[in-house]
Amino acid sequence: MASTRVLLSDDHSFMRRGLRTILEANDRYEVCGEAGDGRETLELASQLAPDIVILDISMPPPNGLEVAAKPSQSLPGTKILMITMHDSEEMLRAAAAVGASGYLLKSDAEELLLVALQRLESGERFVSPAFDSDLANSLFP
Amino acid sequence: MNALKVLIADDHDVVRKGLRMLIEEHTGWQVCGEARSGREAVEKCTQLNPDVIVIDVSMPDLNGLEATKQIRKACPRTEVLVITHHDSDEMAAEVMEAGARGYVLKSDSDTDLVRAVEALSHHKPFFTSRVTEMFLANRGSRVTDPVEMMRGRLTPREREILQLIAEGKTAKEVATILGIATKTSDTHRTNIMRKLDLHSVAELVRYAIRNKVVEP
Repeated sequence: MASTRVLLSDDHSFMRRGLRTILEANDRYEVCGEAGDGRETLELASQLAPDIVILDISMPPPNGLEVAAKPSQSLPGTKILMITMHDSEEMLRAAAAVGASGYLLKSDAEELLLVALQRLESGERFVSPAFDSDLANSLFP
Repeated sequence: MNALKVLIADDHDVVRKGLRMLIEEHTGWQVCGEARSGREAVEKCTQLNPDVIVIDVSMPDLNGLEATKQIRKACPRTEVLVITHHDSDEMAAEVMEAGARGYVLKSDSDTDLVRAVEALSHHKPFFTSRVTEMFLANRGSRVTDPVEMMRGRLTPREREILQLIAEGKTAKEVATILGIATKTSDTHRTNIMRKLDLHSVAELVRYAIRNKVVEP
Protein backbone atom coordinates (compact mmCIF):
# COMPACT_ATOMS: atom_id res chain seq x y z
CA MET A 1 0.00 0.00 0.00
CA ALA A 2 1.31 3.44 -0.86
CA SER A 3 2.20 5.54 2.14
CA THR A 4 0.46 8.77 3.03
CA ARG A 5 2.65 11.75 2.16
CA VAL A 6 2.78 14.39 4.86
CA LEU A 7 4.19 17.93 4.72
CA LEU A 8 5.26 19.36 8.11
CA SER A 9 4.83 23.07 8.55
CA ASP A 10 5.89 24.69 11.80
CA ASP A 11 8.40 27.44 12.53
CA HIS A 12 9.75 25.54 15.53
CA SER A 13 12.38 23.09 14.41
CA PHE A 14 12.18 20.97 17.59
CA MET A 15 8.45 20.59 17.16
CA ARG A 16 8.99 19.48 13.55
CA ARG A 17 11.60 17.03 14.74
CA GLY A 18 9.19 15.56 17.30
CA LEU A 19 6.39 15.24 14.74
CA ARG A 20 8.76 13.66 12.23
CA THR A 21 9.89 11.13 14.85
CA ILE A 22 6.31 10.07 15.53
CA LEU A 23 5.54 9.74 11.81
CA GLU A 24 8.73 7.91 10.91
CA ALA A 25 8.07 5.29 13.57
CA ASN A 26 5.05 4.32 11.47
CA ASP A 27 5.42 2.77 7.98
CA ARG A 28 2.18 4.25 6.86
CA TYR A 29 3.51 7.79 6.68
CA GLU A 30 6.21 9.48 4.70
CA VAL A 31 7.35 13.00 5.57
CA CYS A 32 7.73 14.48 2.09
CA GLY A 33 8.91 17.91 3.24
CA GLU A 34 9.32 20.43 6.05
CA ALA A 35 8.55 24.13 5.98
CA GLY A 36 9.45 26.75 8.58
CA ASP A 37 7.12 29.57 7.51
CA GLY A 38 3.96 30.21 5.54
CA ARG A 39 5.63 31.17 2.28
CA GLU A 40 7.73 28.02 2.21
CA THR A 41 4.66 25.95 3.05
CA LEU A 42 2.78 27.28 0.04
CA GLU A 43 5.75 26.61 -2.24
CA LEU A 44 6.29 23.08 -1.00
CA ALA A 45 2.60 22.26 -0.97
CA SER A 46 2.23 23.15 -4.64
CA GLN A 47 5.48 21.36 -5.57
CA LEU A 48 4.84 18.19 -3.60
CA ALA A 49 1.04 17.95 -3.56
CA PRO A 50 1.08 16.09 -0.21
CA ASP A 51 -1.90 14.08 1.02
CA ILE A 52 -1.89 15.96 4.32
CA VAL A 53 -0.30 19.17 5.57
CA ILE A 54 0.27 19.38 9.31
CA LEU A 55 0.04 23.13 9.68
CA ASP A 56 0.93 25.39 12.60
CA ILE A 57 -1.20 28.53 13.01
CA SER A 58 1.34 30.96 14.49
CA MET A 59 4.09 31.23 11.91
CA PRO A 60 6.04 33.94 10.12
CA PRO A 61 3.68 35.25 7.45
CA PRO A 62 1.50 34.19 5.91
CA ASN A 63 0.21 32.46 9.04
CA GLY A 64 -1.31 28.99 9.03
CA LEU A 65 -4.87 30.22 8.60
CA GLU A 66 -3.91 32.30 5.59
CA VAL A 67 -1.99 29.36 4.15
CA ALA A 68 -4.93 27.03 4.71
CA ALA A 69 -7.24 29.35 2.83
CA LYS A 70 -5.10 28.85 -0.30
CA PRO A 71 -4.19 25.19 -0.84
CA SER A 72 -7.71 24.05 -0.14
CA GLN A 73 -8.63 25.87 -3.35
CA SER A 74 -5.59 25.08 -5.47
CA LEU A 75 -4.89 21.55 -4.19
CA PRO A 76 -8.21 19.83 -3.69
CA GLY A 77 -6.51 16.50 -2.82
CA THR A 78 -4.56 17.97 0.12
CA LYS A 79 -6.12 17.85 3.57
CA ILE A 80 -5.10 20.14 6.38
CA LEU A 81 -4.57 19.25 10.00
CA MET A 82 -4.08 22.41 12.04
CA ILE A 83 -1.71 21.99 14.94
CA THR A 84 -1.52 24.76 17.47
CA MET A 85 -1.00 25.80 21.06
CA HIS A 86 -4.16 27.95 20.89
CA ASP A 87 -6.78 26.29 23.04
CA SER A 88 -9.30 28.84 21.81
CA GLU A 89 -12.77 28.52 20.37
CA GLU A 90 -12.14 31.54 18.19
CA MET A 91 -9.15 29.83 16.55
CA LEU A 92 -11.12 26.62 16.16
CA ARG A 93 -13.85 28.53 14.32
CA ALA A 94 -11.27 30.26 12.15
CA ALA A 95 -9.65 26.92 11.26
CA ALA A 96 -13.02 25.47 10.29
CA ALA A 97 -13.79 28.55 8.22
CA VAL A 98 -10.63 28.22 6.11
CA GLY A 99 -11.39 24.59 5.33
CA ALA A 100 -9.11 22.64 7.67
CA SER A 101 -10.17 19.03 8.25
CA GLY A 102 -8.73 18.79 11.73
CA TYR A 103 -7.61 20.81 14.74
CA LEU A 104 -5.03 19.26 17.05
CA LEU A 105 -3.65 20.97 20.15
CA LYS A 106 0.12 20.75 20.51
CA SER A 107 -0.33 19.41 24.00
CA ASP A 108 -2.23 16.43 22.52
CA ALA A 109 0.13 15.84 19.62
CA GLU A 110 2.20 12.99 20.99
CA GLU A 111 -0.85 11.01 22.01
CA LEU A 112 -3.30 11.87 19.25
CA LEU A 113 -1.36 12.78 16.11
CA LEU A 114 -1.77 9.34 14.52
CA VAL A 115 -5.43 9.16 15.53
CA ALA A 116 -6.03 12.54 13.91
CA LEU A 117 -4.25 11.55 10.69
CA GLN A 118 -6.19 8.29 10.43
CA ARG A 119 -9.46 10.17 10.78
CA LEU A 120 -8.49 12.56 8.01
CA GLU A 121 -7.43 9.70 5.74
CA SER A 122 -10.77 8.00 6.13
CA GLY A 123 -12.57 11.20 5.22
CA GLU A 124 -13.56 12.16 8.75
CA ARG A 125 -12.76 15.22 10.86
CA PHE A 126 -10.69 15.50 14.02
CA VAL A 127 -10.90 18.04 16.84
CA SER A 128 -8.87 17.82 20.07
CA PRO A 129 -11.02 16.51 22.94
CA ALA A 130 -10.48 19.71 24.96
CA PHE A 131 -13.27 21.27 22.90
CA ASP A 132 -16.96 20.70 23.45
CA SER A 133 -17.94 17.85 21.12
CA ASP A 134 -21.22 19.46 20.01
CA LEU A 135 -19.36 22.59 19.03
CA ALA A 136 -16.68 20.54 17.25
CA ASN A 137 -19.30 18.57 15.33
CA SER A 138 -21.17 21.67 14.26
CA LEU A 139 -17.99 23.42 13.07
CA PHE A 140 -16.45 20.34 11.44
CA PRO A 141 -19.47 18.43 10.05
CA MET B 1 34.55 8.95 29.29
CA ASN B 2 31.30 9.60 31.10
CA ALA B 3 28.29 10.54 29.01
CA LEU B 4 27.12 14.14 29.10
CA LYS B 5 23.88 14.16 31.08
CA VAL B 6 21.14 16.36 29.67
CA LEU B 7 17.77 17.11 31.28
CA ILE B 8 14.91 18.28 29.04
CA ALA B 9 12.16 20.55 30.33
CA ASP B 10 9.22 21.52 28.10
CA ASP B 11 5.50 21.16 28.67
CA HIS B 12 4.87 19.82 25.16
CA ASP B 13 5.43 16.07 24.78
CA VAL B 14 6.21 16.39 21.08
CA VAL B 15 8.85 19.05 21.63
CA ARG B 16 10.49 16.93 24.33
CA LYS B 17 10.49 14.04 21.89
CA GLY B 18 12.16 16.18 19.21
CA LEU B 19 14.77 17.44 21.66
CA ARG B 20 15.43 13.93 22.95
CA MET B 21 16.05 12.65 19.40
CA LEU B 22 18.45 15.49 18.67
CA ILE B 23 20.44 14.94 21.83
CA GLU B 24 20.53 11.16 21.69
CA GLU B 25 21.75 11.21 18.09
CA HIS B 26 24.90 12.80 19.40
CA THR B 27 27.55 10.32 20.54
CA GLY B 28 28.37 10.68 24.20
CA TRP B 29 25.21 12.58 25.13
CA GLN B 30 22.44 11.06 27.18
CA VAL B 31 19.02 12.36 28.20
CA CYS B 32 18.92 11.67 31.93
CA GLY B 33 15.36 12.90 32.49
CA GLU B 34 12.41 14.99 31.35
CA ALA B 35 10.27 17.60 33.10
CA ARG B 36 6.93 19.16 32.11
CA SER B 37 6.93 22.22 34.34
CA GLY B 38 9.41 24.62 35.85
CA ARG B 39 8.83 23.18 39.28
CA GLU B 40 9.49 19.63 38.08
CA ALA B 41 12.62 20.90 36.30
CA VAL B 42 14.03 22.26 39.56
CA GLU B 43 13.20 19.02 41.39
CA LYS B 44 14.73 16.77 38.73
CA CYS B 45 17.80 18.96 38.46
CA THR B 46 18.42 18.63 42.16
CA GLN B 47 17.90 14.85 41.99
CA LEU B 48 19.81 14.08 38.79
CA ASN B 49 22.43 16.81 38.79
CA PRO B 50 22.67 17.02 34.96
CA ASP B 51 25.54 18.68 33.10
CA VAL B 52 23.12 20.69 30.98
CA ILE B 53 19.42 21.42 31.24
CA VAL B 54 17.51 22.47 28.12
CA ILE B 55 14.53 24.45 29.41
CA ASP B 56 11.53 26.14 27.77
CA VAL B 57 10.49 29.58 29.05
CA SER B 58 6.71 29.16 28.79
CA MET B 59 5.72 26.42 31.18
CA PRO B 60 2.95 26.02 33.72
CA ASP B 61 3.42 26.31 37.50
CA LEU B 62 6.81 27.97 37.42
CA ASN B 63 8.09 29.45 34.19
CA GLY B 64 11.50 28.62 32.76
CA LEU B 65 13.14 31.87 33.83
CA GLU B 66 12.16 31.53 37.47
CA ALA B 67 13.13 27.86 37.35
CA THR B 68 16.51 28.87 35.91
CA LYS B 69 17.17 31.15 38.87
CA GLN B 70 16.36 28.36 41.31
CA ILE B 71 18.44 25.85 39.37
CA ARG B 72 21.47 28.16 39.30
CA LYS B 73 21.23 28.37 43.07
CA ALA B 74 20.53 24.71 43.80
CA CYS B 75 22.81 23.15 41.17
CA PRO B 76 25.56 25.64 40.34
CA ARG B 77 27.43 23.21 38.11
CA THR B 78 24.45 22.60 35.83
CA GLU B 79 24.56 24.84 32.76
CA VAL B 80 21.19 26.18 31.63
CA LEU B 81 20.19 26.43 27.97
CA VAL B 82 16.94 28.36 27.53
CA ILE B 83 14.75 27.75 24.48
CA THR B 84 11.90 30.08 23.70
CA HIS B 85 9.70 31.32 20.89
CA HIS B 86 9.85 34.88 22.24
CA ASP B 87 12.09 36.64 19.81
CA SER B 88 12.86 39.88 21.72
CA ASP B 89 15.81 41.68 23.26
CA GLU B 90 13.87 41.95 26.52
CA MET B 91 13.76 38.20 26.68
CA ALA B 92 17.45 37.87 25.86
CA ALA B 93 18.26 40.25 28.72
CA GLU B 94 16.03 38.34 31.12
CA VAL B 95 17.52 35.02 30.16
CA MET B 96 20.99 36.31 30.94
CA GLU B 97 19.85 37.92 34.18
CA ALA B 98 18.32 34.63 35.25
CA GLY B 99 21.76 33.05 34.98
CA ALA B 100 21.37 30.96 31.82
CA ARG B 101 24.46 30.84 29.67
CA GLY B 102 22.75 29.64 26.54
CA TYR B 103 19.76 30.89 24.59
CA VAL B 104 18.26 29.37 21.45
CA LEU B 105 15.05 30.33 19.70
CA LYS B 106 12.58 27.58 18.87
CA SER B 107 12.75 28.68 15.26
CA ASP B 108 16.53 28.23 15.21
CA SER B 109 17.84 25.12 13.53
CA ASP B 110 18.63 21.73 15.02
CA THR B 111 22.30 22.51 14.45
CA ASP B 112 22.05 25.61 16.67
CA LEU B 113 20.73 23.49 19.52
CA VAL B 114 23.52 20.96 19.14
CA ARG B 115 26.15 23.71 19.00
CA ALA B 116 24.64 25.31 22.10
CA VAL B 117 24.74 22.10 24.14
CA GLU B 118 28.27 21.50 22.92
CA ALA B 119 29.40 24.99 24.06
CA LEU B 120 27.68 24.68 27.42
CA SER B 121 29.22 21.28 28.01
CA HIS B 122 32.55 23.12 27.97
CA HIS B 123 31.09 25.84 30.22
CA LYS B 124 31.18 28.35 27.38
CA PRO B 125 28.21 30.62 26.70
CA PHE B 126 26.14 30.23 23.54
CA PHE B 127 23.64 32.68 22.13
CA THR B 128 22.32 32.22 18.61
CA SER B 129 23.60 34.86 16.24
CA ARG B 130 20.10 36.26 15.83
CA VAL B 131 19.83 36.80 19.56
CA THR B 132 23.26 38.36 19.86
CA GLU B 133 22.60 40.80 17.02
CA MET B 134 19.24 41.74 18.42
CA PHE B 135 20.60 42.23 21.88
CA LEU B 136 23.63 44.26 20.86
CA ALA B 137 21.58 46.38 18.47
CA ASN B 138 19.03 47.27 21.11
CA ARG B 139 21.06 47.45 24.25
CA GLY B 140 22.14 51.05 23.81
CA SER B 141 18.63 52.27 23.24
CA ARG B 142 16.73 50.40 25.93
CA VAL B 143 14.26 52.70 27.60
CA THR B 144 14.07 52.59 31.35
CA ASP B 145 10.43 52.29 32.19
CA PRO B 146 9.65 52.98 35.87
CA VAL B 147 7.26 50.04 36.03
CA GLU B 148 9.95 47.79 34.58
CA MET B 149 12.40 49.05 37.21
CA MET B 150 9.88 48.29 39.91
CA ARG B 151 9.36 44.88 38.43
CA GLY B 152 13.00 44.07 39.02
CA ARG B 153 12.26 44.57 42.68
CA LEU B 154 9.79 41.72 42.93
CA THR B 155 11.39 38.94 44.92
CA PRO B 156 11.68 35.48 43.33
CA ARG B 157 8.89 34.25 45.60
CA GLU B 158 6.68 37.17 44.52
CA ARG B 159 7.33 36.38 40.86
CA GLU B 160 6.35 32.76 41.47
CA ILE B 161 3.14 33.88 43.13
CA LEU B 162 2.44 36.37 40.35
CA GLN B 163 2.56 33.53 37.84
CA LEU B 164 0.31 31.25 39.88
CA ILE B 165 -2.30 33.97 40.39
CA ALA B 166 -2.18 34.85 36.71
CA GLU B 167 -2.80 31.19 35.93
CA GLY B 168 -6.04 31.49 37.85
CA LYS B 169 -5.04 29.92 41.15
CA THR B 170 -6.79 31.18 44.31
CA ALA B 171 -4.82 32.39 47.33
CA LYS B 172 -5.59 29.07 48.99
CA GLU B 173 -4.35 27.05 46.00
CA VAL B 174 -1.20 29.16 45.80
CA ALA B 175 -0.61 28.51 49.49
CA THR B 176 -1.04 24.74 49.04
CA ILE B 177 1.29 24.58 46.03
CA LEU B 178 4.03 26.53 47.78
CA GLY B 179 3.48 25.02 51.23
CA ILE B 180 2.81 28.39 52.90
CA ALA B 181 -0.13 29.78 54.89
CA THR B 182 -3.05 31.28 52.95
CA LYS B 183 -2.54 34.50 54.85
CA THR B 184 1.10 34.67 53.76
CA SER B 185 0.08 34.09 50.16
CA ASP B 186 -2.45 36.95 50.51
CA THR B 187 0.22 39.24 51.90
CA HIS B 188 2.49 38.44 48.97
CA ARG B 189 -0.29 39.27 46.55
CA THR B 190 -0.91 42.60 48.27
CA ASN B 191 2.80 43.40 48.10
CA ILE B 192 3.01 42.51 44.42
CA MET B 193 0.06 44.74 43.59
CA ARG B 194 1.50 47.59 45.62
CA LYS B 195 4.93 47.30 44.01
CA LEU B 196 3.53 47.16 40.50
CA ASP B 197 0.84 49.75 41.18
CA LEU B 198 -1.95 47.38 40.17
CA HIS B 199 -5.40 47.56 41.68
CA SER B 200 -7.20 44.36 40.76
CA VAL B 201 -6.49 40.73 39.96
CA ALA B 202 -7.56 41.46 36.37
CA GLU B 203 -4.83 44.12 36.13
CA LEU B 204 -2.36 41.72 37.63
CA VAL B 205 -3.23 39.06 35.05
CA ARG B 206 -2.92 41.60 32.24
CA TYR B 207 0.49 42.64 33.59
CA ALA B 208 1.61 39.01 33.76
CA ILE B 209 0.55 38.36 30.17
CA ARG B 210 2.08 41.57 28.83
CA ASN B 211 5.37 40.78 30.50
CA LYS B 212 5.26 37.16 29.37
CA VAL B 213 5.17 35.72 32.87
CA VAL B 214 2.33 33.59 31.50
CA GLU B 215 0.94 32.91 28.02
CA PRO B 216 -2.28 34.62 26.96
